[in-house]
Amino acid sequence: MNFVCNFPFISIIITLFSGPLCTILSGKWAKRVNEAVIVIVGILSACVLGYVGGTGEAFVYRMGHFPAPWGNEIRVGVLEAFMGFFFCVIMLLCMVAGAREREEEIEESKQNLYYVMVNLLLCSLLALIYTNDLFTAYVFVEINTISACGLIMIRQNGRTIEAATRYMIMSLLGSGLLLLGLCFLYDLTGHLLMSNIKEQVHILAQTGQYHIPLMVSVGLMSVGLAMKSALYPFHAWLPDAYGYSTLSSAAILSSLVSKGYIFLLIKIFYRVVGFEVLTGSKVANVLFVFGIIGMIMGSLNAMQEDQITRMIAYSSVAQIGYIYMGIGLATQEGMVASIYHVISHGATKSLLFVAASGLTAASAGGTRYRNLAGSGYRNKLAGIAFTVGSLSMVGMPMFSGFISKLFFAQAAVGHAHKMLPTFIALAISTILNAAYFMKMVISIYSPRYGGNEEEDASYAVQDGWNYGEVSHKEMRRNGGKVIFMKDQPVKAAALICFIVLNFILGLNSEPIIRMIQKGLAMFG
Amino acid sequence: MQVLMLGSIGLPVTSGVVLLAFSLSQRLKAAGRVERTEEEGKLQEGGAWLYAYVFIALICSVGFSMAAAWWGNGSVTVFQLLDTISIYFHVDETGRLFMTIISIIWPVVGIYSVPYMRREGGEKRYYAFFLLAYGMLTGFVYAGNLITMYLFYELITLVSMPLVLHNGTREAVRAGRKYLFYSLCGAYCGLFGIFFLYRYCGSMNFTPGGTLEYAMVSGHEDIVLLAVFVMLLGFGVKAGMLPLHAWLPTAHPVAPSPASAALSSVIVKAGVIAIIRVIFYVVGREFLQGTWVQYTWMTLALLTVFMGSMLAYREQGFKKRLAYSTVSQVSYILFGLSLMTSDALSGALLHVIAHGFIKCGLFLTAGVFLHYYGYGRVEQLRGIGKKMPLVLGCFTLFSLGLIGIPPTLGFLSKWYLAQGALQSQIPVFSWLGPMILLISAFLTAGYLLPVTINGFFPGEETSDLEHTGQKDKTDWGMGISLLLLAVFTLLPGIFPKPLLQFVSEAATIILK
Amino acid sequence: MKEIIMLLVVILPVFSGILMPMLPFRTRRQMLFYLEAVVCINSVLVLMLLFGLPKGSLTLFRFTGNLSVTFRMDGLGALFAGMAAILWPLAMLYSFEYMKHEDNEGSFFLFYLITYGVTLGVALSENILTMYFFFEMLSLVTLPLVLHTRTREAVLAARTYLYYMLGGAAFAFIGMVFILVYGTTSSFVPGGVLDAAKIGEKSLMLLLIYVLCFCGFSVKTAMWPFSAWLPKAGVAPTPVTALLHAVAVVNTGAFAVMRVTYFSFGSGLLRGTWAQKLVMALVIFTIVYGCSRAVKETHLKRRLAWSTISNLSYMLFGVVLMTPLGLTGAMAHMLFHSFMKICSFFCVGAVICETDRHYVHEINGLGWKMPKVFGCFAISALALMGVPGLCGFVSKWNLAKAAVASEMPMAYAGVAALMISALLTAIYMMDIVIRAFSPGKVSHSEGERNVRDSNWKMLLPLGIFVVIMFYFGLCSGPIIKLLTSFSNGC
Repeated sequence: MNFVCNFPFISIIITLFSGPLCTILSGKWAKRVNEAVIVIVGILSACVLGYVGGTGEAFVYRMGHFPAPWGNEIRVGVLEAFMGFFFCVIMLLCMVAGAREREEEIEESKQNLYYVMVNLLLCSLLALIYTNDLFTAYVFVEINTISACGLIMIRQNGRTIEAATRYMIMSLLGSGLLLLGLCFLYDLTGHLLMSNIKEQVHILAQTGQYHIPLMVSVGLMSVGLAMKSALYPFHAWLPDAYGYSTLSSAAILSSLVSKGYIFLLIKIFYRVVGFEVLTGSKVANVLFVFGIIGMIMGSLNAMQEDQITRMIAYSSVAQIGYIYMGIGLATQEGMVASIYHVISHGATKSLLFVAASGLTAASAGGTRYRNLAGSGYRNKLAGIAFTVGSLSMVGMPMFSGFISKLFFAQAAVGHAHKMLPTFIALAISTILNAAYFMKMVISIYSPRYGGNEEEDASYAVQDGWNYGEVSHKEMRRNGGKVIFMKDQPVKAAALICFIVLNFILGLNSEPIIRMIQKGLAMFG
Repeated sequence: MQVLMLGSIGLPVTSGVVLLAFSLSQRLKAAGRVERTEEEGKLQEGGAWLYAYVFIALICSVGFSMAAAWWGNGSVTVFQLLDTISIYFHVDETGRLFMTIISIIWPVVGIYSVPYMRREGGEKRYYAFFLLAYGMLTGFVYAGNLITMYLFYELITLVSMPLVLHNGTREAVRAGRKYLFYSLCGAYCGLFGIFFLYRYCGSMNFTPGGTLEYAMVSGHEDIVLLAVFVMLLGFGVKAGMLPLHAWLPTAHPVAPSPASAALSSVIVKAGVIAIIRVIFYVVGREFLQGTWVQYTWMTLALLTVFMGSMLAYREQGFKKRLAYSTVSQVSYILFGLSLMTSDALSGALLHVIAHGFIKCGLFLTAGVFLHYYGYGRVEQLRGIGKKMPLVLGCFTLFSLGLIGIPPTLGFLSKWYLAQGALQSQIPVFSWLGPMILLISAFLTAGYLLPVTINGFFPGEETSDLEHTGQKDKTDWGMGISLLLLAVFTLLPGIFPKPLLQFVSEAATIILK
Repeated sequence: MKEIIMLLVVILPVFSGILMPMLPFRTRRQMLFYLEAVVCINSVLVLMLLFGLPKGSLTLFRFTGNLSVTFRMDGLGALFAGMAAILWPLAMLYSFEYMKHEDNEGSFFLFYLITYGVTLGVALSENILTMYFFFEMLSLVTLPLVLHTRTREAVLAARTYLYYMLGGAAFAFIGMVFILVYGTTSSFVPGGVLDAAKIGEKSLMLLLIYVLCFCGFSVKTAMWPFSAWLPKAGVAPTPVTALLHAVAVVNTGAFAVMRVTYFSFGSGLLRGTWAQKLVMALVIFTIVYGCSRAVKETHLKRRLAWSTISNLSYMLFGVVLMTPLGLTGAMAHMLFHSFMKICSFFCVGAVICETDRHYVHEINGLGWKMPKVFGCFAISALALMGVPGLCGFVSKWNLAKAAVASEMPMAYAGVAALMISALLTAIYMMDIVIRAFSPGKVSHSEGERNVRDSNWKMLLPLGIFVVIMFYFGLCSGPIIKLLTSFSNGC
């Protein structure tokens, strides 16, 4: 047993205890602690990743050295370690980028509470990733829900309370279903550790005993987690929750929280139910259908949205649809594609949220199409970042979205019945994505129309042959203020990191894909 | 030989282009100047040197082309246009015949144009395109394969269009456009057929008897027949055949009279030549005889003969009446071709000659009336014979020719046509054809002779003309050209022997 | 060594474009000099490649696994690249003069330059993924050019443009994935790469996907149900409409269809199937539809745009004949149409630039004021109509020859469509010529007095295009032979 094997446990513990620690610290210190914790956990995860990658097989870490039926286990493979690392990176970037908004939007006295929630959220995410015990997973699912609620409603502007309540209700419904499914499974198998359950399920599947209860429990768990990760018909909570909460909350929620649940679901499929059982059942088909509906409906809703953050939020619904479609293919390639999309969407969606806030800031707080006109000139970096994110969402080659689209399509090709629906859904969804994201991109790079036409004409963009002037002219037009990179170095750095991350994922996806494949192999 | 052939095409084209460039540059200079009145623009036109230049160029060209036609029997390949097809010229019977007619008519019209165009203005441009058209026609007549012929067919359209819209009024421009689009429509129909013939014919070169490869065609007869039919319709546009004849009555009245004379007597025949080339030299008559294509063609031709005459009879505009008459008369020729017998073909070729001279003469007389009195409508011409007895006399002669009264050439051609129709054993058409020709001849008399009668015997109410008190003041250029044409109409009718011999020889070769 | 040049010609314009905002140009002249120098150097490099086709291929980077961005130059690619290399320097020269009257030159030239590199990227792509990559990039980098004037109209046009482009690419994507999975390789191989053993029973699926993919790529060529974007995109400055939306971008679509049909799916698998008939019907309809709309349209640039739509479908018609002869005809038309259409667009641009007149009825008598420009226009009109002796006839001839040789009834209908379209072309093009030269109508209003021919920067490209049109029209043997050798084995 190498020392590195302790790291996953240590990181969970650090985050768990740093939460309460923050309650007694001032806002500023809490922030520092929080950032330090994320960095440390990130480093630890990287070490674990290195170790697991080196040994080439997953290790099991027994807590308290109790043997199987009673003890609690952590099981770490390449994929788990990588997810841990990736979550830390994204979370750090989100927290850094949203610092200014947090200061402005959250009451002074509650600043430190925010970091409590973030720490607990990270803790629960890590636990969801690492744990080998279904019940532990359930416990941390609940912690996750509660802390996420806190993140939503800490910015108190009326809508967030409602949003948080909705989120709470839907989430609890989801966890309830998860718990039910878990109980059934326990009843059937008598185990809570994933590895043990799988053995029993395998026997049950072979003998054909308890087929219906088994399917019911798989179905319950799937639906529960789908609800929590906002699969299409259960998405009602999402736009408000993402659209009105503070920047770092929205970014973290959209790119990490729902992804944690999805990861858990995939893990359940592999480690609890077993892939063969899943392929034999109809659950995958149901997820596939709802995934496709989600892809289309999410985008359609987003098209009707006028407000940039809510539009991005609805786009999340569509992207979650992609992921479930991949899972629903119930093939190895489909899973790879889904997990890749978890990563790619995590990186892109947070980028979009951060960029959107930058554009909003440059438009005197306006969040609608009209207000944002020309903001790409006023805040150039945010404009570029938003463009990059949009292109990635649309699936332009060179960006991460293209790779996941490619993998989804390739995964679908082999499938007899699901190939054509997948293709058509991907194509339509691409067009819809283009319709709202690119519309926004064009709008942030063009002057505002309507209203007083003479005024429009008099402000016609003229800049001779040099470059700098457009922004100033634009600024005067729309009354927003110009934001330069040097005004917000940290945010700019975060944005650049996001952009680079997107390019890395888009241009050099092969190692990541190989890691995912290896990680999935370690699951089994 | 090569020099003669290329010279006959190149000389008029080059001289035309030079003249055009010159007129354009002058026009631009004038446009650049700030003060420019219409009179000034007029004054810059014309001049003796212009006529000298034009006539020297024209006579040289005519010399070249006649020399090429009668003293040589060669062929010239100019260059490779497409991978397998070259621009290729070849003189044969048909070419010789047509070229001679054109070479007679063109100088005659040229002489006529001198006084006429002096009043119309824009002389340089007119003569430039006049020369160009001659060059293109030469190229067209001497073309040795389908592609070359098609090339010059399009070019004829393009260079004759400016003649139609010469005077630049709204109406003229519209007519020019209509002429262009109708002609191009025909050309593209022709091209459609060419694509298919290219595949199913052994060679694109004109060979009497055709080059269709029956081995390849078998199984694809339908499409080949369709293609040939489309070509007939297409090239029939220029010849004014029924479905697409409407450009003729629009274009002729607005064009300057010499231009409409050239158009009606010669350029319309380009359609006839193209059809002869396609039917007898590429496809071969064996393939078409007895098919639906032949019958439809015949029907269309007869219908056009009848409809054209009827419309001419009803029409009151003088030049428009003549235009309808052209529609009708050219379809005589087409009917003769469609019969595909030796006599009918001779008749058709004779009618090409007869109609060429006669219609040219008719339009030129119409031009004289228009030129001196501005009379464009038939009822205005009442009593004109008192003023211009010579001109109206010529007109009467031409009319008689067109109707087909014996001493003229028109009688001969119609005789042969009718005989050919009766000899051919085609059911229905062998008697229907001559009958319609006869009816049409009556109609022709009906629409031409009243002009003569009223012109010489105006009756009571001819007031204004008498008071002007002028006698015939026809310009010598106009007079000469009319007399020349009258001679050409009459002479072969009186001494038909050599012409008949030549024509029947040509018909035998074509029908081989 | 030569392989490196392939990379260079793609990268050079892109990077010099990106570099532009950072370079300290002191005067406009300096910037123009820089631009023309870059473009010329690049064109010379491309021509160097043409005269010694590099055999090998060069991989720039890998997406995943065996999916890589790789360059190789074969006959078809060389044709396209050569075309771009000839057109770009001339178009650049022309736009120097044209853009004098427009704002925001800097950003215009930036993207104009980048587009050059991206177009070459499409031409030189070795596999379907590379082509798709540059195909998408092309939509993206031309977007700012459509958006250039920033008027409301331009913004709406840009939106339409992008929706169509990305939508088309989304369907093309399907075909690409299919090739990636079912092909023996993703490279372009004459005759197709599909693995018959892998496909087995799925031939219906294959055809369906081919149709989707065909439609996807032909969005760029503005085939009928997807043609609305092209006339709208005419709001862009004329150099863009002329070079990109009449030549480079739209030809990319035709090029991609050629690649996919002959080098990926393989024409053998598709010949005689319902898929062929379906796409051919669409194409034939577009040929006539585009022309008819052009006749109806009175805005000069939009009229030419509709004409482009029809002419691009000529190329597609050649492609869907699924024979090497058809491909030859399509390639010939791709090459010749570029010169004809860019010439006519440049003429119209010169008129717009000089007189600010945009509609057909406004140009009466202008031919006497600008004889050189309208002379060139008349020649390009004749070429488009297909008068023998000019290049339009040669390509039309080859297309029709291929259609007749294919012995398909629908191809015969296609020949008829070509002829109908030629007539309509005559109507809408000669209409302009006749109006411009309509005699007796030289008005002398104040506004017209100063109208005169454009200067050499505009006339030089026009002159060169006219010479090229005549050259290919009169001496088409060698080029057709070359194209035939390219299409052999497809």
